[in-house]
Amino acid sequence: MSGTASSVQSSVSPVPPSAAGRQLLAELREIVGEEGLLYNADELLVYECDGYVVEKKIPDVVVFPLNTDQVVQVVQACNRHNVPFVPRGAGTSLAGGCLPVGGGVMITLTRMKRILEVNLRDRYAVVEPGLVNVHLTQHLKGTGFHYAPDPSSQGACTIGGNVATNSGGPHTLKYGVTVNHVLGVEVVTAEGEVLELGGAVEDLPGYDLTGLFVGSEGTFGLCTKVIVRLTPDPEAYRTMLGVFETVADATRAISSIIGAGIIPAALELMDQGIVEAVEEAYHFGFPLDAGAVLLIEVDGLEVAVGEEARQIIELCEQEGAREVRRAETPAERQLLWKCRKQAFGAIGRLSPSYCTQDGVVPRTRLPEILEFIAESGSRHGIRIVNVFHAGDGNIHPILLFDERNPEQVQRVMRASDEILTKCIELGGSVTGEHGIGVEKLSFMSQLFTPDSIEVMTRVRQALNSGGLLSPGKMLPTAGACGMEHIERSHPGKQAAS
Amino acid sequence: MTAAIEASQEQTPATQAELCRFLAGNSSGERLPVYPVGGRTALSCGGAVTTPGIALSVTGLNRTIEYPARDMTVTVEAGVRAGELSKLLAGEQQRLPIDIPQSRRATIGGAVATGVSGPRRFGSGTLRDCVIGISAADAEGRLYSAGGRVVKNVAGYDLCRLLTGSLGTLGIITQITFRLRPLPEFSAFVWSTWPNAAALDIAIGELMCSAVRPMAIEVLCPKAARQIVTESRLDAGRDDLVLAVGFEGTENEVRWQTDQLRELLHRAGAGSCEQIDQPEQVSRLWDALTDFQVQSEEPLTFRASLPPSQTIAFIELCRQQEVTVQSHAGNGIVTGHLPDSASTVEAAGRITETLRKEAVRHRGSLVLLNCDENWKQQLSVFGERGGGWQWDNRLRQSLDPQGLLNPGRMPAS
Ligand SMILES: Cc1cc2nc3c(=O)[nH]c(=O)nc-3n(C[C@H](O)[C@H](O)[C@H](O)COP(=O)(O)OP(=O)(O)OC[C@H]3O[C@@H](n4cnc5c(N)ncnc54)[C@H](O)[C@@H]3O)c2cc1C
Repeated sequence: MSGTASSVQSSVSPVPPSAAGRQLLAELREIVGEEGLLYNADELLVYECDGYVVEKKIPDVVVFPLNTDQVVQVVQACNRHNVPFVPRGAGTSLAGGCLPVGGGVMITLTRMKRILEVNLRDRYAVVEPGLVNVHLTQHLKGTGFHYAPDPSSQGACTIGGNVATNSGGPHTLKYGVTVNHVLGVEVVTAEGEVLELGGAVEDLPGYDLTGLFVGSEGTFGLCTKVIVRLTPDPEAYRTMLGVFETVADATRAISSIIGAGIIPAALELMDQGIVEAVEEAYHFGFPLDAGAVLLIEVDGLEVAVGEEARQIIELCEQEGAREVRRAETPAERQLLWKCRKQAFGAIGRLSPSYCTQDGVVPRTRLPEILEFIAESGSRHGIRIVNVFHAGDGNIHPILLFDERNPEQVQRVMRASDEILTKCIELGGSVTGEHGIGVEKLSFMSQLFTPDSIEVMTRVRQALNSGGLLSPGKMLPTAGACGMEHIERSHPGKQAAS
Repeated sequence: MTAAIEASQEQTPATQAELCRFLAGNSSGERLPVYPVGGRTALSCGGAVTTPGIALSVTGLNRTIEYPARDMTVTVEAGVRAGELSKLLAGEQQRLPIDIPQSRRATIGGAVATGVSGPRRFGSGTLRDCVIGISAADAEGRLYSAGGRVVKNVAGYDLCRLLTGSLGTLGIITQITFRLRPLPEFSAFVWSTWPNAAALDIAIGELMCSAVRPMAIEVLCPKAARQIVTESRLDAGRDDLVLAVGFEGTENEVRWQTDQLRELLHRAGAGSCEQIDQPEQVSRLWDALTDFQVQSEEPLTFRASLPPSQTIAFIELCRQQEVTVQSHAGNGIVTGHLPDSASTVEAAGRITETLRKEAVRHRGSLVLLNCDENWKQQLSVFGERGGGWQWDNRLRQSLDPQGLLNPGRMPAS
């Protein structure tokens, strides 16, 4: 890509050596001030990757705008200098969406984090994109309403990042994913114009641009405001833990529950490997010898949940559950959810690095894919544990490895690829909620015909014609001409630092 | 039905491939405008079309491709009638939880292209929440698809959402995959009358914050109430504003909720309040509430979108203009039929502009659905477009550069 600001990265000097680079930096400083700017090599290192650690690239500059107007000016400056730019939230993405392909300017939105409006009567809130997901939930506590999408990373990830990746979470089985809860967005386009898509009012005329924008992984614009839908809190919960001898028993129970016409609020599976780690970390009292546990929650009216819970327990027992425990108090429920949502935090006990995969299969094909995962892991000599959104058929095999061992990294990638290919074979998809990013570009042509990719490319070109915004993401063909292709064989951190 | 489409030559391909071949031939040959047609129930939707071309019927594409009931998804071709699909799904105690007017005739592709909805949108969302995979042919006959057959999927751009409600201007939808829901065991309505609109407004506010979880919150003006009562052969109060709240679920939970709600409504000042829970009556009532939007001899039908809290005030304004209204009050959607007295385009324009101004003041909109097509050319069908219209235009240009697909349907401004 154009060499202007790119030269900063290869240099240890804090100031970009080229005249053009110095000029851009001066303009950015003018817009966001010195305190809104990072350009020293050691400070930039944090921004070399997101939650996907296999590929890395240091941006040339990171800016922290405080408002829409500053975002507009930054984008316009990048356009003037023909420098690529990429939005970033909390950097928890697991598909490399934040990787600054081609270097350039990273626009981090975490300082735009205000809640601008809450309207309970009309059931919406307007927030800035840098707001951490859980902060909205906390803010709404006591109002009788909440924001439904609850990714496991909700304590860190931003609503803007959720919008860009169309995040899911445990409770999306019943309530839907981010796109079902976003009414409108304010967008700064690739050219630096401000557009309002959708709004607090439903069914505005024209195409569903909000729906198109959500999940576009930052390739159509930077979202600078989000109008989210608020959902009334359920009156009651029943949270259960089904303990099964084998993973296969557990997956059959899932199909039976849904087949009986019950849509639980959440239906999560943890296998023995992850249960061990979680138990060691949080001491919930999980049985360590069980093949799998199901975390099942129903919510709704007090008059309804009791009956649903009874049916679920019966179905689990029919499928061979060893026991079904119930969370008897709110504290127990919270602990159970903490174990689930912070399961990733416990993985550190198992291995120095890990790679979380994200695939989807039709729910009834879960037994096959889980068997395949186990087989693939043992064939490649990679330990794999599973904790995932089972009700949606959304698997998250976690591949454990040591990123200092490049040969192991290769095996991890081979096993990952095999698993995802198998998902496609079973009628599924290679990503349920983490996105294509840079990680899964090569799978797009397995999922879609060349004509479909051509149409998606046209859509992208229509809205991001210059290609400076988030190049190299989502579509195998996307990005500015001459863009270097990131090789998926990067050995990782050692090489970058 | 519009004259330009009636005057068009009709084609009914039997397969996707045939449809694509036809489009490819047209775009490299005569380049006639192409009007996709399904069940012909909503051909007046959108802006006026004026030039005859090809009426491309998708009714030949009418196969069920796959119905893995245990996965609760179904893939069908676009020409399948909505009613047939319901029957198929009911066999497995499942449904697509979307209200489609005139479902015996309407095709599923037409429903998706127009993005229809009805009373259940309060509890179940809209078609955009149900379409998980889609295939369409562009004007040059290029078949493309997006999404897939699984309920959760973020691979690629969400063209499912883009195409739903696109009025056939970005592609001719050929195949759709839906996520499904279980059929509810039981359903009932609480039908109440309201001499005082302000009291109704407060009651709805309370209802929205209460423990009950309705599937539909419908408000009808007296004239609409009379029409619905007749249509569904009910014996219920109809001389004031009516609030009809629909529930679905297990019998237990529905009965608990109707009890709660009746109490709430009494306290809030309802005139009368009755429960409708005879299964045939309930089912006829759902149908009548769904079909109100297309059931009219009146000169013009519109749909307005507002913040839900502004709905009752807007309905009152409509009544002053003698417009017959139904509203999905929980969503702020109001459907209105203009009175016979609005028999000239000037009179109709005065009424719709007055109402549109009010909707726009609340950042909403008003769209003309059905009227004389000459009127459509003189009146503004969509009003001033909000922020995204440049993107609308760019998308249309990039997917249909020759402007062959349903020209005139979508707002251009
Ligand atoms: C432990 C852990 C658990 C997780 N659990 C889940 C889960 O349950 N469900 C789930 O869906 N995901 C999950 N994730 C993935 C991740 O948290 C989500 O994708 C999240 O939405 C990313 O938010 P972020 O703020 O970190 O975005 P980032 O990682 O900073 O960015 C993600 C993408 O969005 C773009 N972007 C960010 N902000 C904007 C903006 N304002 N405008 C336009 N584009 C923008 C970026 O360019 C990038 O492409 C998990 C991740 C971790 C590490």
